Order: sequence, then C-alpha cells, then structure tokens
Amino acid sequence: MAGDVPGPDSDSALDEMFYRTERVQFVYWRQFSGAKTTVMLTTAIAVLAFVTGLSDLSQATVELNGPLATFLPGPSDAVRLYGVFFAFIVGGLTVGLQRRVRLAWYGTVVALPMIALLPLLTADSTDIPLLLATMVAFPLVVYNRGKFDKPIDLSPFQTAALTAFVAVQIYGTLGTYAMRDRYTGIASVTDAFYYIIVTGTTVGYGDATPTDPLTKLFTVSVIVLGTGSFTLASGSLLIPALESRISAAFGNMTASELTLLEDHVLVLGYSELTEPLIDVLAPATDVVVVTPDAESASELTEFDVNVLTDDPTDEETLLDARVDTAKGVVVAGDDDAQDVLMILAARQANPDVRIVAAANDQKHVDKLEGVGADTVISPTLIGGQMLGQSILDEDDDPV
Amino acid sequence: MATQGDSAVERFVRKSLLPVCIIAGVFVVSGFFFPSFVGSVVTGQGWLVVSLLFFGSGLSYLALLPVEYDVEETDARRDAPYLLRVRHLPWVETVRDFATRQDPILFGVGVGGIASFLALRVLVPNGTVAAVGAVRDVLLNDLGWVFLGAMVLAVVYCLFLLVGPWGAIRLGGPDAEPTYTYPTYFAMFFTAGIAAGIVFWGPAEALFHYQTPPPFFDVEPQSDAAVVAALTYALFHWGLSAWSAYIVIGVPIAYFVYQRGAPLRVSSILTPFLGVENLGSYWGKLVDVLAIFATIGGVATSVAFVSKQFLTGIQYQWGVTYGALGPVLFVAGLTVIYVISAESGVHRGIRRIAGVNLVLFVLFGLLLFAVSPRDAVLSWGTTALGTYATSFVPMSLYTGGEWVAGWTVWNWSWWFSWAPFAGLFLAALSRGRRIRTVVFTGAVATSAATVVWFLLLGGTSLSLQHSGTANILGSIATHGGSEAVAGYPLFSALPLSQLLIFLFLALIIVFITTSADTSTLVVTILSTRRNLAPTTGSIVFWGVFQGVVAVAVLLIGGGESLQAVAVLTGGPFAVISLVALVGLTRAVLHDEGGQSSLRARIRRRGSERGPNGPRED
Repeated sequence: MAGDVPGPDSDSALDEMFYRTERVQFVYWRQFSGAKTTVMLTTAIAVLAFVTGLSDLSQATVELNGPLATFLPGPSDAVRLYGVFFAFIVGGLTVGLQRRVRLAWYGTVVALPMIALLPLLTADSTDIPLLLATMVAFPLVVYNRGKFDKPIDLSPFQTAALTAFVAVQIYGTLGTYAMRDRYTGIASVTDAFYYIIVTGTTVGYGDATPTDPLTKLFTVSVIVLGTGSFTLASGSLLIPALESRISAAFGNMTASELTLLEDHVLVLGYSELTEPLIDVLAPATDVVVVTPDAESASELTEFDVNVLTDDPTDEETLLDARVDTAKGVVVAGDDDAQDVLMILAARQANPDVRIVAAANDQKHVDKLEGVGADTVISPTLIGGQMLGQSILDEDDDPV
Repeated sequence: MATQGDSAVERFVRKSLLPVCIIAGVFVVSGFFFPSFVGSVVTGQGWLVVSLLFFGSGLSYLALLPVEYDVEETDARRDAPYLLRVRHLPWVETVRDFATRQDPILFGVGVGGIASFLALRVLVPNGTVAAVGAVRDVLLNDLGWVFLGAMVLAVVYCLFLLVGPWGAIRLGGPDAEPTYTYPTYFAMFFTAGIAAGIVFWGPAEALFHYQTPPPFFDVEPQSDAAVVAALTYALFHWGLSAWSAYIVIGVPIAYFVYQRGAPLRVSSILTPFLGVENLGSYWGKLVDVLAIFATIGGVATSVAFVSKQFLTGIQYQWGVTYGALGPVLFVAGLTVIYVISAESGVHRGIRRIAGVNLVLFVLFGLLLFAVSPRDAVLSWGTTALGTYATSFVPMSLYTGGEWVAGWTVWNWSWWFSWAPFAGLFLAALSRGRRIRTVVFTGAVATSAATVVWFLLLGGTSLSLQHSGTANILGSIATHGGSEAVAGYPLFSALPLSQLLIFLFLALIIVFITTSADTSTLVVTILSTRRNLAPTTGSIVFWGVFQGVVAVAVLLIGGGESLQAVAVLTGGPFAVISLVALVGLTRAVLHDEGGQSSLRARIRRRGSERGPNGPRED
C-alpha cells in the first residue's frame, strides 16, 4: 500500500477541463425561460404555422387521421386554411407580446391550443413540428404571464370607433341573415357575413343583391355605417401610431406621450455629459431630454429615452415636459449662462423639484447654487481629484 | 461574469457556420414541408449533402456558443496564449510544443500500433485476416467463459455497491460537491457510452433472434414464443450486464483518483498494486496503451461502420447510390463535428450535444410509442421483462454453443472494449457523487433507458413482422443481412413515417458524435503527459487521427478484421476489470477498515434509522 498519500496531487490542468466552480446544468433554464424567449418562440410558431399551412394547401388532399378528426364539424377542407389563418393571428399577437401587452397574452393563451388542434386533426408528418413547438411554447407563455402586463390604453374615441365597427358587422350580418329570403344569393350566416364585408369595403361583387325597398334601405344603412365606422376605426387607431412614429423621428414627443409622464427625470441641455448620464439614468427611471438642438436630439433618439426638441430655458416647455410631476431635474448644458436660465426656469415652474447642475467652469459653482440648484457638481474638479488620487495610491481603485 | 469561448478564431468559425446552417436549414425545411415542389429539384446526393450540412453546422454552432460563468477566474487563460502562439510561433515551435506535451511511449505506441496494423492489413491481407480470425475464434469460443464470468462478477459487484455500505462513500471526500447536475451527468454518460449501434440494432436485434432463436430458449423460429425469447435476449445484450462493464472500470478509477490522488487515467486502477508514484511504470503504460488501442480502434471502426450503414440505409430507402467517395466524405464531416465538439470542452460542446441527443432520443421514443401497435408492444414487453428478470442468472451463466459465442460473448467483448473510455469519462464526471449514485446512474438508469428503447423498437418491429404488416426480415435478407436497413421498412409501415425516418437519421448522427467526441477527449488525456492539460492541438490531432483510421478502414476494407481486433481488446479489459475489482476491494477495506469510520457510520445510521430516522441523502 504505497498509495496512502492523500494528495492534492490531482491534475490541476484536468481540473480546469472537468471541474468548474459553478454547477454545470443540463439546460440553463433561467437563460431560456424569460419573456424574450416566449416572444421568440411565439414568432417561430407563427412562421411554422404559416409554412405548415402552405404545405397543407400545396398537397392534393388533406386526410384527417388524427385522434380529434371525428369531432370536426363542417367540411374537412377548411383544415387546409387553418394553419395560414392562425399564422396571421399569432403573428399579430406577437407584435403585442413584444410590447408586453396583457391583451396579446390572453390572445396567445387562446390561440396556441387552437393551433395545436391542427396536428391533432390531421396527424400528418408535416404538422407534428407545430404540435411540438406549441407544447414547448405554451407552458412558457403561461409561466411568464406576469411579464406581459401592459394595459392597452385606448382613448374613449378609439374605443367608440372600434365598438361601432364591430357592432355594424354584427348588425349587418344578423339583419341580412334574417331577411335572406328577400335577397338573391344568400342562404347561410356565412353568406350574410360575406355580403356585409363585400358591401362594407365597397367591393360589391354583385353575386348577392337586395330585391325589395326594405332590404335596399338596409343595405344603404350598412354601406353608410360600415364604411364610416371602418374609416373611423382605422383612422383613430392608425393615425396616432403613425404620428408618434413621425414625431419620434424628429425627437418630438406627442402631447399624449407627454401626459403619461410621472416621476421621471428631466435632463436639460446637451453636452458631453449627456450620454454617460443617460446610461446611468435610463435603466432606473424614465428620462426626458429637453434640448433646443435638433441634431443632438436625433442622436439621442437612438438611446431609449424621450426627447423634446424645444427651448429648455422656457417655462412653458418645462411644463410641457411635466416638470410639475418630475422626480428631479439635471441641468447639464455646455454653457453655464444657459444653465443659469434653465435652473431659474425649472425653479419657477416647480419650486419643490430637486435640481442638480453641472458647472462647466469651477468658478460658477456658487452662482448656480445661488439661482436655485440643490446640488452643483464640477466634473473638471472631480476628474482632476480622481486623477491625482489614482496616481498616489495605485492599489485603490477610485472608481 | 466572464465568458469562455469568445476567442477570435471561435467567433469567426461561429459567424461562418451560422449562414451555412440557416441556408441548409431552409432547404431541409422546404424539402420536408413541400416535398412535391422541392423534391424534384434537388437530387438524392444533394439532399444528403444539404441535410448533413444542416445537422453538422447546427451541432457545431451549438458546441461553439460561448458559455458565461460567474466567477472571474481562468478567463482567457486558455485562449490568450493560444492566440499568441498562433501569431508568433513558427510552426516548428508549435510542433515541438505539441510533441513535448505528449507522453512519448503512449503516443508513439498508440499511433504506431494502429498504423502498423493497417499497413500489415494492406501488405499481407490474407495473413492478417487469418491471424485475426484465429485469435478471434480462440477468444470467443475457447475463452468465452472468461467474458461470461467477468460479466457476471461485474453485475454482482454493481449490485453489491448499490445496496452495500460502500455505496455511501462520496468520491472526493464528504464535502465534495458534484460539478454537474444530475440530468447533465446522466445525459453525458449515457450518450457517450452508447454509439449509433443502439439506433441500428434497436429494430434489428430482436428480429435476428426471432429468425434464429437463441438455443437457451428452445423455441420454434418465428413463433409466438420466439417473439418473447427474441425480445428477452435483446434486453439481455443491451441491459444491466452491458452497462456493468463500464462501472467496474469507472468506479475503481474514480475511487483512486478522488480518494488517493491518482491521475485521471485508466492505469489508475493499478494504484493499490503499484502506488500512485509508480503508475508511470511499464505496467501502467501497458494498461493505458491498451486503452488507447481499444478506444481508437473501437470508436474509429464504429464511425466507419456507422457511415457505411447510414449510406446503406439511404440507398435502400431512396435508391440513391454513392461511390467510394460518399462514405469518406461522410466520415470527414462527422470528424469535423466531433472534433469541434471535443475541442469546445466538456461543459460546452459535449454537454450540449449530449442534451440534444437525449432530447431527440426521448422525442423519438414518445412519437414511436404514439404510433406503434401499443397493445402488442406492451403485452410482449412486460412478458419479456418478466422473462429477463427470471432468466437473468441462467442466461448470464449459459455458455452453450456457437450462438452464444457469436452473439453474447462477442457483445460482452465489445462492451468491455469500450469500458476504458466510457469508464474513464464516468470517473471524470463523478467527483462529488456517492458511489451508489454513480452505479445507479451508470448501470441502472442507463440500462433502463436502453431496455425501454429495445422493448419499444424491438417490440414494434417484431409485431409488424409477426403480423405480416411489413416484411423487415425480407428487406434485411435482400441487403446481405445488414442490420442497417431494418429501420426503414419498419417506419414506412407506420403513420408519421416521414418524420420518424428524419428523426432516425438525425439520431444516428448525434449518437455517433456524442461517443466520438468523448473518445477523442479521453484518448487525448491518456496520451498527454501527466499534469499537462490536453491542448487544442492534441485534441484536433487525435480527432483527425480517429477520422483517418475510419477512412482507412473504409478504403482498405479491413473493417471486419480491425473491428475484431478492437473488440478483442475487450478480452484484456475483461481481465483488467477483475484486477480492478480486487484492487478496489482491498483499497476500500484498507481505507475504511483502518479508520473504522465506515463501520461506525453504518452502525450509527442503523441506530438512527428508526421508523422516521433522519437520512443523510
């Protein structure tokens, strides 16, 4: 027994290869179970459903061999449209999920099981990947429910327009179906719905037509209400979205975006300090930068901050940027004289708000304090001190 | 947060792999979903190339993804000097650096031995084949009892470790923490320990026994009774006994490495006889050289055979023919994948591809179970399991005849020849685990997985064959008795056949990759000098060498004889396993007996374990 030396003599090089200080997991769940993965998987399902749907359409016949095939009501040919139809629905929901909208989450929870029905109906080789993908995605969607919590904030006008649009479709479909005897070419609810859509979108193929005065008047009402509500709904929903996109491009916030601000931090002026400042602030709180310079404003829109292109020395501008509900104001322009005016404006607009200012010139620290800044920092002073410290005691990392 | 695997070279390879994977993936997906459009445009060879590109680039990309870990240590230590070396050292220096890291005897004899065998096979083909055949006959027929006996001992020892007091020993001391979580541990060992053989033999083995029943069961060929007998023997050949061979090499290595500080090598099983300092002596080297022979020979021939079988299957199924170049290209592709996987490290490529492998394995099993004739599979399966349990001991001891020599003994020899590399890998992963957990994972859990697999695939193929739904045996017969074609007529007769065949081909590739990457790593560790880390260069060298041997086997056609040689290295390891068991027993008795800690602990635990006694684990 010569081997009794219990030894630390193990191969350290091999240690590095096989033994890590942290646990090696099979799958790093935390890395793969977040909201981001959920959105990506749902997107993948939308694409997969589209491809599967196209594949079903391209086949000569679709046979229903699945375990649920016997429960399918209606014609089996409808199955061929199933995949593509849900692909578009899930695709739309993904956009909502990306914005963490609660409603999109509910929609996804309903849509994914509906998609999973397709493979269970057909039991086709090409549909099975879809089933597997939904089986992976669904638990993940449910698990991440808390992360999709943004409500949809529709204005009363938008709500009314949407409601009117939906109501007209129901009114038209039910009315047409009730009076189907007085129409040519309408026998079922599907026909009635088809007729209303064709009429309301002013397509009007003419295969289904009213035959007597009552149904003609009814059709006129559907045309007027239908096209009107469609225009209103699309206008009220799309135009604000376009507007905010356009204004974002110019660094201007819309009035509705501004009204939502609360407990945010205002950054007045633009200088070399602004970008590192935003790096610190942006993860922690909402930030609104107010600068008169459109060029620097457009640079800043690449960061995830709100930018208001207007004069920060003007009280009105600061009130637009909701200085009254702000948590604090940082004044960091590249001209101390302008900074003084900004501090004065901010102080007048909100006497209680905390104002922090950066003095470009060390001599101006007390002046900025004099006009109402709560704290004034001189970046050059601090930088110089740190430089000095770090050369003297090199062991200490001043940062 | 630190990142490993973010060197410039790897980033470049990753970036170039991704577009390849995506483009090939688009082709594969469109071929899968729109066979009527795309199928006519792309030729058979084209499909093979595209799908292999897809699998290969996907797996390699996965292997090369960086890993982030919390502790800032060893970061870039491996990467930085390597890059510096690439930039500044002339190639002579690189070669010298490579050479100084290799153990001259192990490296020289390992490479030289295999090369000279191949040379002999070319120069004196008849003589070599005859010699190998003679040795083979002696070992399998006359010395078959050695394999059977060693295997019985291995099973008994495993059961003893599982239920006996020694199972409580924690490898690496009572405070050692396992590095790998249990699923990782299981996935890596299971997928390393078994190659694509499980995929080919799964549907085939039971069928062969059904056609020619084992003499142990006196049954009519192709009768109802033959079904159960065939399934039982398939389970027997791939079940508990087989995996026990890995344990009896792996556990002693692990014990001496973690309890005695021996180096991580196969020769460490000689620690109680030589002592840790003298492991570098000729006896130690002999064991290590044998391990290198067995591993390279075993895995390289497997790679060659799998490639051939893979292409035979493709040829059978789609009528696509390949020249001599086809298998060579296939082997080259496989080599690239497993070298990348081995080089990227245990916790990156090897772990991830093992994960992919296990997921595909389970997915395939579930899908097949969903579409298989479940009633028949379940009823035959339970009967076969029952017969397996009741006849296990007599089957293990049954030595009769040519049939046993050709199947059971040959199989045992094959498992023993893989034991050094699988056992060493098991030992490497097992730090911080109790011996009981190691045995449970390495023998019980893994054999449970293979048993379920063989019941499912064997049961399904027997059921289709027996009921006459598919004539799988006929297909095998028309292809010269090759087990490679058994899967295709089977899946074609089932629903979801397209998807099953697709997954089946993917499984073949990942299963051979997960074994070949581990074997490359193990051989690299064995051939590198003690206390030196295997470098990227040596991993690439051994990986490529393994690939070259596989290509040589394909070109020379000496496959059978080289495989016979490789498998017959199982003979020495059957004997070595006995030595290992004696050594382990002596060492544990000495260690634990001397301090009487274990006995005390058992006594204490015995008294503590009342009706609701506290338990340590």
